[in-house]
Amino acid sequence: MPPRKVLIVDDSKLLHRMFEMMLRQYPLVHAYDGKEALERLAENGDVDLVLLDMNMPRMNGLELLEAMKGDARFKKIPVVLVTTEGSEEQTQRGLDAGAAAYVKKPFRNEELIAVIQRLTGSAA
Amino acid sequence: MTVRVPKETEEQPQRRADALAELQSTLARAGELLLSLEQSARRSGPTPVNELQDRLNDVVQDRDELSRRLAEYEQQTGRLMNLYVATYQLHATLDPGEVQSTIAEIATNLLGAERFALLFWNADGTQCEIALGQGLSQDASGFYSAGKYGGGDPAVDATLTDGVLRMGPIDGSEAVAVVPLTVQGAVVGALVILKLFEHKAKLRPEDRELLDLLAAHAASALFAARVYHQTDRKLKTLESLIQLVKRG
Repeated sequence: MPPRKVLIVDDSKLLHRMFEMMLRQYPLVHAYDGKEALERLAENGDVDLVLLDMNMPRMNGLELLEAMKGDARFKKIPVVLVTTEGSEEQTQRGLDAGAAAYVKKPFRNEELIAVIQRLTGSAA
Repeated sequence: MTVRVPKETEEQPQRRADALAELQSTLARAGELLLSLEQSARRSGPTPVNELQDRLNDVVQDRDELSRRLAEYEQQTGRLMNLYVATYQLHATLDPGEVQSTIAEIATNLLGAERFALLFWNADGTQCEIALGQGLSQDASGFYSAGKYGGGDPAVDATLTDGVLRMGPIDGSEAVAVVPLTVQGAVVGALVILKLFEHKAKLRPEDRELLDLLAAHAASALFAARVYHQTDRKLKTLESLIQLVKRG
């Protein structure tokens, strides 16, 4: 099975760099806010998974999630929330909006990779 | 009571003697066979079944050991990756604002700091200013207000003086960690972590390396960016002046 394409949506350059290091076996697409993410999704029809930060400028994670779930082209793409939110309520809102899973920052590499493998059916 | 004993024929004594000899011979052979089996058992050790069981146990032990080592290597790789990315990102820009953002991102995303303050001494060293803060409005200590650290936390005061990294719990201080920021041996400020996210109970041993890295690199990266920024601004001013002179 070919490596799955992952869209990283986060306003932190540090996190993008971290994901590049961590997910070398996956083709990655990068976006720094929700609006840019929608553009990247439209350009890349073969995105298999989205890693989504919650707090971002222009369009936050929850708004992007709702936009994706309301669009027939993107609604089946699994979304993993990558959040610093300590609030269970915030995480639950994301899950209610259709997120497939969540990982809290700071996370261990193996923890994130296990979630990605589970959702994409891929092995590193 | 009368017991009738059959009359012994002439052949019977001979038959008994033959049977006795045969029995003695059989017993001798059984003894030899037993001895041989014992010697064989001593020479060949455990039976094949036991041997296989022992080997299987060894393989299971090896597998468990390899799994343990693999988990250790993965953790080690993760730690090194964090250190590499943090260093890379601190020195990836000469924009002071971006360097400060990177310090904040390291505190939040890699250390799990929910509340923190980035402090720098002002130019004349009389006041410690809050260059960047997160969650400080919820800090009840009153030490951090109006964009300044007024002093009073013993751990922060000590680190700002002696440049030693301190990790909580510290008597009389609410700080989880106080990281000195030094340039060429001089303490120019400190990163004070006041609270971690709820899902991160405490700093882990590997976080210490990241704090050390911040102590070593954050201030120098920020200092270099500020110097570049000032120099660049002066250069642009001079270029504008030269343009004006040329036009005049």
